[in-house]
Amino acid sequence: MADLLELLVSATASGCVYGLIALAYLLVLRPTGVINFASGEWAMMGAYAAYVISDAGGLPPILAIPAAALVLAIIGWLTEWLTVRPLVERGAGHLAPILALLGMLVIYHQVVLLSFSEDQYPLDGPFGFGRIEFGLLAGSYQDFFIVGATIAIFIGFWLFFERTVWGRSFEAVAINRRAAALMGINLRMVTALSFAGAAAIAATAGVLDSPRGSVEANMSLPLAVQGFSALIIGGINRVEGALLGGIVLAFAEDLTRRYAPIPSGLALGVTPVLLITFLLVLPNGILRAKEAK
Amino acid sequence: MGAAIRWGGAALIMCVVPFLLPLYEMDVYRKMLFWVALAISYNFLFGIAGQMALSHFAFAGIGAYTVVILMTQAGVPLLLAIPLALGLAGILAFIVSFAATRLEGFYLALATLAFAQLFIVILDEGGALTGGTGGLTSYKLPLVFGFEIQGPWLAIAMALVLLLTLAFLLRIDRSWYGRACRAIRDNGEAAAAMGVDVKRTKIMAFTLTSVMAAGAGMVYAFFDNTVNPPVFGLENAFMLLFMVIIGGSGSHLGAIVGAVLLRLLQDMLEPFVGQFHVMGLGILMVVVILVQPKGLVGIWDDLVGRKRAGRRKAKP
Amino acid sequence: MTAGKTFIEISNLSKRFGGLTAVDDVDFEVREGEVLGLIGPNGAGKSTTFNLICGYYPANTGSIRLDGKEIIGQPPHKIAALGIMRTFQHNMPFEGMSVTENVMVGAHTTLHGGLIPVLLGTGRARSEERALRKKADELIDFVGLSEERDTPVTSLSFGQGRLLETARALAGEPRLILFDEPAAGLTPSECVRLSEIIRGIADRGIAVLLIEHDMHFLMSLAERVVVLNFGSKIADALPQDIRNNPAVIQAYLGDAAVIGADTENGSGADA
Repeated sequence: MADLLELLVSATASGCVYGLIALAYLLVLRPTGVINFASGEWAMMGAYAAYVISDAGGLPPILAIPAAALVLAIIGWLTEWLTVRPLVERGAGHLAPILALLGMLVIYHQVVLLSFSEDQYPLDGPFGFGRIEFGLLAGSYQDFFIVGATIAIFIGFWLFFERTVWGRSFEAVAINRRAAALMGINLRMVTALSFAGAAAIAATAGVLDSPRGSVEANMSLPLAVQGFSALIIGGINRVEGALLGGIVLAFAEDLTRRYAPIPSGLALGVTPVLLITFLLVLPNGILRAKEAK
Repeated sequence: MGAAIRWGGAALIMCVVPFLLPLYEMDVYRKMLFWVALAISYNFLFGIAGQMALSHFAFAGIGAYTVVILMTQAGVPLLLAIPLALGLAGILAFIVSFAATRLEGFYLALATLAFAQLFIVILDEGGALTGGTGGLTSYKLPLVFGFEIQGPWLAIAMALVLLLTLAFLLRIDRSWYGRACRAIRDNGEAAAAMGVDVKRTKIMAFTLTSVMAAGAGMVYAFFDNTVNPPVFGLENAFMLLFMVIIGGSGSHLGAIVGAVLLRLLQDMLEPFVGQFHVMGLGILMVVVILVQPKGLVGIWDDLVGRKRAGRRKAKP
Repeated sequence: MTAGKTFIEISNLSKRFGGLTAVDDVDFEVREGEVLGLIGPNGAGKSTTFNLICGYYPANTGSIRLDGKEIIGQPPHKIAALGIMRTFQHNMPFEGMSVTENVMVGAHTTLHGGLIPVLLGTGRARSEERALRKKADELIDFVGLSEERDTPVTSLSFGQGRLLETARALAGEPRLILFDEPAAGLTPSECVRLSEIIRGIADRGIAVLLIEHDMHFLMSLAERVVVLNFGSKIADALPQDIRNNPAVIQAYLGDAAVIGADTENGSGADA
């Protein structure tokens, strides 16, 4: 029982990380219709940025998180400006930005590999390594911190989209770009902010995740895959779907690995199987699209 | 007649070259042929039929593994193993292709990526059947008339697979079928209104090209007499996409140019600049998409076209 | 121009979207070689009727008979194969293909070769392909796009795009051709050209169903006009009688000036 509860805590933490990456995908996908496979790279770059900031810059880990997010927000904004905006303005097909971002993914990855070695770097969580128990629930400091931080971020975004004029204008762009532009919404600004925000969120996910393992270039691909899987599972229409999808995915993975009578390697098949199933059977994900208001 | 001479000449050159090359270069050459064969069939699927599938390398792997497993573990003779492996690849492709009829754009990319991932998971965990993460090694082609097929002879086999693939694709591309595929790529609704059976056309394109990939994979399996999971993984699936786009998606020549160029980039540059060549790949991709979506072939056409237009203007 | 036998017969056709009845118990027929105009205010159900005929969605009730055979329930590509071709309100060319190839796609349903002869490169497959190319070129000449044969489809003007759609639809050897607001967005001289082409199509014995807001354009072409309002048919008469039909005038909100007047600016989007 204790074993199960501990597993639930760490699975929830993993699910939160997936959910944040899914949110990064969602922020770009909703207003632009572009799926940005480089989201995993952004998470990895965020982790490296936090490592450099706290290791060389001497900043405490808790401050390294916003600092890394800021660095990546700038990178995300530059990416949009350099690769996506020219394509959108030229009226290129919807696949073009996706492919250009794939090219950027390779460039990001190589820049990191060339700047650092292929080694793994340690990154401290804000509360260090330790275990904490809340009654029956037990887990590492970092696990609880991840869950808390993720909930705070999602509440923030939910309020932003539901309660502010700015957030509403994002949603308007997501529903109909043309109409939104006619209503006087600045499409360029919304798109640029989506990329900056997505990069910052992905970076946060990377920084939160790394203390549970290490900072390494190879962390990007699994995060990218789990992020879009979580997105599809939760449904691409709603912010809270990203978190729900992440948690469902992490639970499916961890419970299968722990309890299913199959070799642990085969448990890696859970993610692709879930992804295929949802794409073909439940393409709208767990949460249905909100009724148009 | 002229066409027969051209094809025969190409075949002859492609078959003679490997005997003139030193061992390492011969190996580079035949692997390049493998990539070119995959790139041209992938170009038909992605560039002409408009299906952004990422399962092409997985089907090459299915062809390679199946033929090896049938021969070494089931004792099936080569001549029977080949059609059986192609058949299995065809059946699997037919099943997966239903995803292509239901999903569009990057959703299809995600579904086929998941399929490719699943394939690798199964290879890794396949135990003795697939050899696990280490793959299968130390098998051999049977002697044919007491003759051992190896080295440059396998390059010839790959050259023939490549030419067969190309001839096949050129024929169907220049027919009603190729037009139907392009029509669906450009506008599925209008294609249906013109009487094109969108579902059927998509399924056929996916299945045919995937079987072609399996054919190339089969020959590849005997290059080094080893098959292992990383070769058929996601990285190479994306590499194929990059080749086709950089060369010029939708163009057969573009696929060939892209595959040759990126293979040369890797094989020639890696010893000198190490990982830097991969960066070049990313930069090429971004530049091509931003500057000329029709790829290097499109840039070439622009240059030639401008020259021609200039000449036409110069005339009174 | 004498209308031939009935080609398509629509009866009791209804289509509901949620609570909205887009098409309500409509019936009319189109005869071979006849130009039938289909008009009505925005949201009257004209485009929905088109889409029902083309098989984009199933009707709730009613029937659409072709030579007496029911076609409701058939998918769009089967309906095209039965001889019903269409143009789109917003041009939908195949942008990655040449003008000639675009027209050749239109002939898709007239080919009988299959893939095996193509692969074998048989003489028949090749001669079929040659004949098709020739036919496409003739149609391009017929609609007056000869000069643009080698122009990239993306650089055609809007009017040329409309002509291309017309040639593409004709390539399928249709027995009924549906035009969805063909005159919208055309210059006056293009309108005249298109009008002649549509006349020529009907003279070939092909049935033409024409949605049009430009009354000047429609009235000069149509031999008979069906008027829809809120999904129901309110008139089915000769053009000259439509102008004086009280129900029709009422439907256009008493805006009698619309009927018979040159309303090139009045051609809005149809819901």
